[in-house]
Amino acid sequence: MVSSILILAIGLGTAFGLGLLNRRRAVLALGLTLGALGLMAAMAVGWLIVLAQGAAPVEIYTAGAEPPFAINLRMGLMEAGAITLITLTGLLAVLALRTALTRMGRGSMAVVLVLIMALSGLVMTRDVFNLFVFLELMAISTGGLALLSKDIRAIAAGFKYLIISQLVTILLLVGIIFTYHATGSLNIDDIPETAMGFSGLGLALFLILIAVVLELKPFPANGWALDVYTAAHPGFSAVFSAASGTAMLVVADKLVKAAGPDWFAMFTLLGLISFIGANIVALRQDNDRRLLGYSSVGQLGLLLAVIGQQDVLGEGYLYVAGGLVLSHAVAKAGLFWMSIMVKARGLSDWAAIRVRPPLVIAFATFLAMLTGLPPFPGFYAKWELAQVLATTDRLPILAAILIGTLIEAVYLFRWFGMAMKRETDTPLGPKQIDCMVVLITLAAAFGLGALWGDLSENGNLFATVPMLAALFFLALEPMPAKLKNGLAIMALVYWFAAHAGVYDPMRLIFLLVMILGGAVILLASFNEDGRRVGFYPPAMLMYAGLALLLEAQSTFEFFAAWEVMTLGSYFLILRGKQSEPHALSYMIFSLGGAFVLLSGFALAADGVTPFPLSALSLVPEQVAPWVFALLAVGFMTKTASVGVHIWLPGAHAEAETDVSPMVSGILLKAGLYGLVVLLLAMGRQSLHGVDLVNVLAWIGAISAFVGAVLAVFQEDAKRLLAYSSISQMGYALFGLALMNHLGWLLAVMFVINHYVYKSMLFLAVGGVYKRTHTKLMYKMGGLITLMPFTFVSVLVGIIAMSGVPPLSGFGGRWIFYNAILETDLRLPLVLIFMSGPVGFLYLFRLIHTIFLGQLKDENHQIKEAPIWLLVPQMIFVAFLIGFAIVPGLVLQRVDRFLGTVFGDQPLIWHGRAVESAFGNWNPVAIMVVIVVIFVTLFGILIAKNHDAVKVKQFNIVFSAERPYRPETTHFAWNFFAPYRRAMGFMEMPLVTRFWGGVSEALSGTAEFTRKLYSGNGQTYAVQVILFVVTVYLIALGGVA
Amino acid sequence: MSSFHWVQIPYALLTLFIVLNYGLIMTAVVQKIAARVGGRHGIPFWQNYIDLVKNFAQRSKITHGVMFYLGPVFRLAGGVGLLLFVPTIYGSTWAQNFSFAGDLVLALYFVFFGTLGMALGAGESGHPHAAIGVSRGLAQVTMAELPLALAVYAIAVQYHTLNITEIVAAQQGGLFHWTLFTNPLATVAAMFAFVGTMMRPPFDVVLAPQEIPIGPPTEYHSAYLALMQTNRAIFPVAKTVIYMNLFFGGASSWGEFAIKVFALYMVSAFIGVVHPRFRVEQSIRFFMKWGVPVGVLAILMV
Repeated sequence: MVSSILILAIGLGTAFGLGLLNRRRAVLALGLTLGALGLMAAMAVGWLIVLAQGAAPVEIYTAGAEPPFAINLRMGLMEAGAITLITLTGLLAVLALRTALTRMGRGSMAVVLVLIMALSGLVMTRDVFNLFVFLELMAISTGGLALLSKDIRAIAAGFKYLIISQLVTILLLVGIIFTYHATGSLNIDDIPETAMGFSGLGLALFLILIAVVLELKPFPANGWALDVYTAAHPGFSAVFSAASGTAMLVVADKLVKAAGPDWFAMFTLLGLISFIGANIVALRQDNDRRLLGYSSVGQLGLLLAVIGQQDVLGEGYLYVAGGLVLSHAVAKAGLFWMSIMVKARGLSDWAAIRVRPPLVIAFATFLAMLTGLPPFPGFYAKWELAQVLATTDRLPILAAILIGTLIEAVYLFRWFGMAMKRETDTPLGPKQIDCMVVLITLAAAFGLGALWGDLSENGNLFATVPMLAALFFLALEPMPAKLKNGLAIMALVYWFAAHAGVYDPMRLIFLLVMILGGAVILLASFNEDGRRVGFYPPAMLMYAGLALLLEAQSTFEFFAAWEVMTLGSYFLILRGKQSEPHALSYMIFSLGGAFVLLSGFALAADGVTPFPLSALSLVPEQVAPWVFALLAVGFMTKTASVGVHIWLPGAHAEAETDVSPMVSGILLKAGLYGLVVLLLAMGRQSLHGVDLVNVLAWIGAISAFVGAVLAVFQEDAKRLLAYSSISQMGYALFGLALMNHLGWLLAVMFVINHYVYKSMLFLAVGGVYKRTHTKLMYKMGGLITLMPFTFVSVLVGIIAMSGVPPLSGFGGRWIFYNAILETDLRLPLVLIFMSGPVGFLYLFRLIHTIFLGQLKDENHQIKEAPIWLLVPQMIFVAFLIGFAIVPGLVLQRVDRFLGTVFGDQPLIWHGRAVESAFGNWNPVAIMVVIVVIFVTLFGILIAKNHDAVKVKQFNIVFSAERPYRPETTHFAWNFFAPYRRAMGFMEMPLVTRFWGGVSEALSGTAEFTRKLYSGNGQTYAVQVILFVVTVYLIALGGVA
Repeated sequence: MSSFHWVQIPYALLTLFIVLNYGLIMTAVVQKIAARVGGRHGIPFWQNYIDLVKNFAQRSKITHGVMFYLGPVFRLAGGVGLLLFVPTIYGSTWAQNFSFAGDLVLALYFVFFGTLGMALGAGESGHPHAAIGVSRGLAQVTMAELPLALAVYAIAVQYHTLNITEIVAAQQGGLFHWTLFTNPLATVAAMFAFVGTMMRPPFDVVLAPQEIPIGPPTEYHSAYLALMQTNRAIFPVAKTVIYMNLFFGGASSWGEFAIKVFALYMVSAFIGVVHPRFRVEQSIRFFMKWGVPVGVLAILMV
């Protein structure tokens, strides 16, 4: 390989060379700049490849002498990676900045080259004074480049930046002088050889390190840098965030390595404060670039903390830090470059990008990358980090990191929601080159994801068939929706067929519901015409997550699948017309739940990777209850148990017609599957004498009751169904928590039944919505004759759901009774019993107010729901009836399987009938008796009243009046008024208030903290000094 | 577990016939007693037969649609089914009906079959009073049925079975073997539910029979109403049979059956004549305050 000093030489040489060019040859100058950067990047990539293959790091000695008598540079793997990132960022930045650069002329290009050169130098140099020189170069060129922007504030921002960075470099210089005094060398590698005996060295090192930390713009001493983000040209902000940040991180790393592990704690603490603080303040930002600035500050803080954790990260340090740096740099640069095309600065002005689907994909990718979602490097890095932190008992640090990430996700995904759902007056200003720059960054994001997956010892998401299939659907986007739908169904059916034979019956049930069930619901999607851009990739991503979830053998695979599923379903839910806030709350709760899972898995693994799911049973006694509690909370977030349920009603109700059944009928089962896996492996656990399984039973019972009562009071049909899901999942949770054979069989029954009737009802209500354009039930009424098939499916659905014989819901109730007779858990039963009849209330309301009662004038002309919505419904109707007659076909195998788990066999199957220790259930006999009685009586009535005259709508009389307005005659609004008078206190939004309080507290903190950023350069300078003094005083206690 | 033989069909029809006539006469007698208590003369005890014949013979009949048609069918099928899913006479070979099809859980849930269908049928008439009645009825039943559910759980644990015949068998051998004495809490709880769901005062706001005709039957007439009246004779008896079987030792002969059902039925009639009517929310609170705690005690003590 060529000497890496050439990277610096080319940069510097070209910068000087540009001065020789004719002033007017701006295009040529630009070409030269690009060429130089390209060459620098090519060299860096070359080094990266060589070093990645195991070559030893190379030392470069300048001036023909060894250090400390001359400056030396080092090119190792970390350096090569960082320089690759810096030079490539520079190259793309010049493309993005081309107009501004050409306008300003060759000088500005020279400054860019000097900046990139200086950053590369910072990365490579091993000499502190040389470091100082490069830092000065960086500061001056940054100040200069800030002026590239047309924004008038850029001058002030650049000036403030220069003032404060001089302050910082003074600190650094003083530190360097003292260090030299103490060690007699300016070489970084000589610092550790000097004992700390000399008392001044502590202060000297402190000054050097704090200067480096300040260059990372830590919260709250960073007002000076944030103005640069806001005012500078975004093409440059990308360099400022991605390249400068990376270079300073490398510097921080090598200096703190030299200074010794005593300083790690300071880095960690400052990093975490910066990460959380900056993210909180970012919550209140409404300017996209400033928001990105805060996010950058946050991410750099996170990385500072990771640098501080290198003592425990050991060999994984580069993998973790690298994954996080790359995720941050690539995503942040990409976002800044995208902001060039968005012409207005409000967050909702990003709505403009909707006209270009590839840009939407890029936006989503960058946000997912920043939040550490799969399949990007940050995800793998975060997983490793969590494992290590949990193993080394640094849980508070892990908690802080996860909380910070969650806050970051809040504002990032809120921004995404605004971009997807709101409107803007400012059109996109797309230029081919800008698009290209973004798309190259996008490709890099996926490339890095694949690379990090490949390097991971836990497995690569890109190497899984479902994930590739989901990505394949991205490529299919230009195809017509019907074709894509057919392919999607085929893919799901294929996956089902390929795995049905190998799964145990328990997993088979989930496979049946999630994958084959998904294919059935997708039939409804044939109803959509056009291309339906943005539907299939997230849908298939969600199904990929579900498929991988069932495949997962290790905790990593499980968690990765979980995140993939969450991400896909979030995009899917967001598609609904009014779903912006609901999709956000879904995402936040899901991510929060996922982070709790991550902590639980990390705690369980104790450093073992990959950690098999089955090994959860071997978790040592002292941590087992904690692991159990964390995982259970994580899973219950998905089943929307009471307390963490507030995301569900909105998310399910506002989703599109065919999405609601997917996220309700299918997605909720993922939480149950998690609980099944958890309980199978860990069984009962108790914490401080409290049996955690009993706690689950209570939560299940409360959810069952509260969900049902709240469903009664809904006016919106889809919200009613959504609340009822909370209730139904509560039943299933309760069944699992009974921890006996029949309880689990009950849960299985609920998994199947809930999928069928909830999907069916959501499709039916969706069909009604398509015709009436309202979800408010009191605006409907009397639709039975106009939508007879939909009516039938709702009728069958509610009979099945209410548990009335002869349909399949009764089977669930029968198993329930047998299950509870074997438990000692009496009190929560009261709640479960209470919620049963409450179910009748909302179910009756659903069918009555929509299909019965008075038909509204404006609805006289409506037609039956579209055929493709009816097809899956009729399949479900047939299934419900079939399942009611021969439940054994499905249940018997699960029953046998549960027998092997619990070591008992409480049900005895006699052909089609079942007998338990307490009673018996003969579904065929029940069906026959009821049908015979019903048909006989029907025959009698027909014989008598076949000639009854069909009367008109208002042929009724009440209270001596003859009604004529359907609106005043249809009894529908506030249908259960008496019930509300008695039980209305349940409607008190206690949980909503609690979470609202949390969010307001954060937001208030953000508003308060924001006041620190006055915009005044002097204030900023004082802040920096105060920051340094405070940190020194604190650090004094720890180190010096 | 017993199984099906064709002879059970005529046996079941015979049970049905007996219960129907018993129900028609008994409800009229109870009404007459209530009238006499109020100082009125009251209806003749065959009044129900007259009503039934009259309604069946009525020539003018209208319909509001398919569900309107099916409502009474659901209703009566619910009553007949409930009767036939429960053994009527303990020890009798022929009055076991079709109880082999399921146990107590089946009976408990099948109670709602008719209610639900009836509510649907009435809903199609578009009459607001029908819907108001349904709304009140359903709201009330959520709390009124709860003590029964708790009581049933308590006795199922007590007798370690959900099989009604076995529960009756366990109560044989004297008065003090009845659940009434072996598990008084469960019995009291269940009686709250019994009184609460018999559609008599103070819990009859659902139908509000005295002033305006309200509730599901509002729009019904002719053979529809006849079917519903048939059910009004069968259903309360069928329901009372369940209570009798669970808490009062069942009946080993038709005579015992007639007395016990009448006595039980009179409990709700007695309470009814001396109490004014509750509004729905008052009933709900009443059951929450009195019925449910007893039921909770019952399941905790057993």
